[in-house]
Amino acid sequence: MGSRYLLRRILQAMLTIAGIVVLNFILFRAMPGSPERMSHNPNQSAAARADLRARWGLDQPLFPDQFARYISTTLQGDLGQSYKYKGQDVTEVIANRVWPTIILFGLGELIAIAVGLVLGAYSGWKRGGVVDYAGNGASLILYSMPYFLLGMILLVIFATALGWFPTAGMFTLGETYSSFSDQLLDFAHHLVLPLAAVSLGLIGQYSILMRSSVIETRSEDYITTATAKGLSESRVLRGHAVPNALLPTVSLIGINLGFIIAGAITVEVVFSWPGLGTLTQEALEARDYPVLQAIFLILAVTVVFANLVADIVYGRLDPRVRT
Amino acid sequence: MRSPVRRRLTRVLVALGLISLIALPAAAPVGAADPVVLRVGTVQDLDAMNPYLTEYYVGWEVFGLNYQGLVDFGLNAEPIGGFAKSWTQDGNTWTFKIDPDLKWSDGTPATSEDARWTLQKLLDIQKGDRGYVGVGYLDLYLTYAAVNSVSAPDPQTLVLTTDYPNTQILTSYLPILPKHIWEKRDINTDANKVPVVGTGPYQAVEWKTGEYVRMVRNPNYQGPTPKSYQDETFIQFFKDEGAMTEALKAGDIDYARNVTSDQFDSLKSQPNVVVAESTVAAEANAFTHLVFNTHAPIKDGGSSTSAVRDVAFRDALGYAIDKPALVDKVLGGHGVVGSTIIPPAMSGGLWHLDPPNVRTFDLDVARQKLDAAGYKLDASGKRLDHEGKPINLKMVVPSSSTTYSQSAEFISAWWKEIGVGVTVQSLDPDAVSALQKPPEADPPGKASYDVVIWNWAGDVDPNSLLKNATTDAIKSGSSDSFYSNPRYDELFALQGKENDQAKRKTEIDEMQQLLYDDAPYHVLFYDAALSAWRTDKFGGWPLSPETGGLPFFAYGTAGYDYLTAPQAAAPSAAASAAASAAASPGSSEAAVVATAAPSAPPASSSTSGSGNSLLLVVGIILVIVAVVAVVGLSRRRSAAGEEE
Repeated sequence: MGSRYLLRRILQAMLTIAGIVVLNFILFRAMPGSPERMSHNPNQSAAARADLRARWGLDQPLFPDQFARYISTTLQGDLGQSYKYKGQDVTEVIANRVWPTIILFGLGELIAIAVGLVLGAYSGWKRGGVVDYAGNGASLILYSMPYFLLGMILLVIFATALGWFPTAGMFTLGETYSSFSDQLLDFAHHLVLPLAAVSLGLIGQYSILMRSSVIETRSEDYITTATAKGLSESRVLRGHAVPNALLPTVSLIGINLGFIIAGAITVEVVFSWPGLGTLTQEALEARDYPVLQAIFLILAVTVVFANLVADIVYGRLDPRVRT
Repeated sequence: MRSPVRRRLTRVLVALGLISLIALPAAAPVGAADPVVLRVGTVQDLDAMNPYLTEYYVGWEVFGLNYQGLVDFGLNAEPIGGFAKSWTQDGNTWTFKIDPDLKWSDGTPATSEDARWTLQKLLDIQKGDRGYVGVGYLDLYLTYAAVNSVSAPDPQTLVLTTDYPNTQILTSYLPILPKHIWEKRDINTDANKVPVVGTGPYQAVEWKTGEYVRMVRNPNYQGPTPKSYQDETFIQFFKDEGAMTEALKAGDIDYARNVTSDQFDSLKSQPNVVVAESTVAAEANAFTHLVFNTHAPIKDGGSSTSAVRDVAFRDALGYAIDKPALVDKVLGGHGVVGSTIIPPAMSGGLWHLDPPNVRTFDLDVARQKLDAAGYKLDASGKRLDHEGKPINLKMVVPSSSTTYSQSAEFISAWWKEIGVGVTVQSLDPDAVSALQKPPEADPPGKASYDVVIWNWAGDVDPNSLLKNATTDAIKSGSSDSFYSNPRYDELFALQGKENDQAKRKTEIDEMQQLLYDDAPYHVLFYDAALSAWRTDKFGGWPLSPETGGLPFFAYGTAGYDYLTAPQAAAPSAAASAAASAAASPGSSEAAVVATAAPSAPPASSSTSGSGNSLLLVVGIILVIVAVVAVVGLSRRRSAAGEEE
């Protein structure tokens, strides 16, 4: 693959991130309800409030002072201190919440990709078959259901009614584990339902797209040629149909990442999963600017990066775009 | 070629997999007899471990467990020994005695020097430029008590002097901090990272923001004997009441604070669950109200009509609010009809006044009064104000609770019936707060509203609630009515210094009556606090106060000392405390003595809860798998191509 292609893509990504950083800054300052009003203290004197504003640098003009300060500190890796969790660094607050989200959504994506693509490919190939009707129907329902609704249904049925799974959190509170595998088991136990909520929704999405993609590919000339050459059906599907049908899905996976993050908030809230989603909700309520800015920066970089990877993979799969 | 590449890839994968397995931390130490763990659920999220920086109820509960105040609160909010074991008052001089055996949780002896240092620190900061400590809530207690100096003549004695004789120091929240740890810290900004060192019953050793705080038993706590049953106390922060209720039902938590009225009713039939509604404790020491913007006209802001500045108008509208119906429909019956601004829940009803001239719901009377006050109906049925404009009130409600918007719906319907137009707007609480700032406050606001429905909460003393209707409160930004009455201000100053309780009551009664008559507020109701707890893992649940209170999130944290092992008989109906029925406090005492709870040593750091290493490992494996998948995906095409 051409290095110019790669270089161009990377440059685009960096420019996008730079734009996001600026937008990030502006957006959060433009929101009504500045932080010092969050201090519910009716006894706070005017001097105290002014002192608070000065300490947070809020009394200085937006451009260039506050903005310059934001850029320089961000580049140094100092993302400031949380307004809500008083005295704690933003990086600390976020660090605790990153892995739970990565695991939940990373695993969810992987499962969804594996199952969704296979299901979609098979449905598309054996169009009109049982798998197709059942699979497609189920996928449509799952696709159109909001994550939180799916999550709540799973919670009520499997956690509350049947009691098979816990209702909230990542680990059982106050539990002492006699071995690492015990802890892993507990974690897995808590992971099942939120993971199901995330994967099922995504499976629906990927399977439908893959299905229509395969159906389209099926009518291509090279498929007819391959079949005419005497290749087995599965060989044709695996070797010719799927790789071509994969293209739109790969793009979707990259684009999807942004929307998944939005879904992250709802699923995490339903299951009290201590990740970035719940942190975002809390920070929004508390107008915790530094934390919000940091989260959105991380998300933006992640989405841009994921799209970059998707572009590269697409480039490898389809030589036609590698100009 | 391809095959060697694929084989190599597999080998790399296996190697990585093995490496990650080896890198796993060694098996955790086998736990001793499993510790007894109490799990408390709340929807509020803890914001700070430093007592002087927290603004939330849950923060107060946490510091109440970690630290002791100079004087603490008993089950009935009576002053009991805290950091200081006993005290005497002689006019302006208070002498506190500290137990010579008192130790901090890290073993260091705790003496009067710690108390002196803490309180002097607060006084010094107050006198300095900053003027207030942390978020400015706790140091005010020193101001209310008019403390002007503090000294420690010997390690067991602390002496305070005040400007005038008063007993406010006995109802204060002043957590005493260990000097040997805090003298290197800035009390105004320090995060007070775990593990916390204090003299309270439980010390925080783990805090996952947004999730839970884990506190373990303080071996040096000078609590009741025998020791409290639970070895560890968790407070878990839920995102919403629904999840919390489900957790209680499933037995994942033992106590749920502030469930909604629907959940409350559904929990009544759950086995092993006791529900209690309290109109005398916790959140019940608060009122939900409707407040008028009585500020003088403001350019480009202020109220939309002069009518809201007219007492007669506000009084008339008071007859068009059916408070019993609101309690029934909005609160599901879980509350008490409101009247004056000091809730009956405060200090056992000590200060609340039942006004003799209560307004009843009568639309005809309301119409008559409006007519008499000169607010005539126009042809289309709308009331006109004294300037001839049709009245249309802008009513703003915060979106934080459906209680406000539901009340607004009812009230606007009733008012429309008597010709007063209402437009309801729902805003984020922060936005409502900003909206209520007048030009005098800093930062200034335009106060563009006519009516707001919101809520004020009180503590043990009426001061904090009475303050909001003073003229000073307008400048400090805490007044929501902009009410200004010289006689009210005068009384406020008098009662603040009054030591004779009977005289103070008379002064406060007059203040309450003034507000009721002038009606800048219509107090709608006093919400009941709804909580539920399980009886299958713990017994001996105390009530604080002992008649009609709740075990936790009360004035102090005494409730945590009374739990026992689960009791044989499930006391479902008997223990559920209605506002009127008196609960039996004696049972908790008996149970404490009878139980032979095995006092297991506090669990040393185990692998419980943290799981950071596990997360890291799983996460890394995941990333590896993802990378391999991506690489593998791109390879397959070339492989397929070759096979032709």
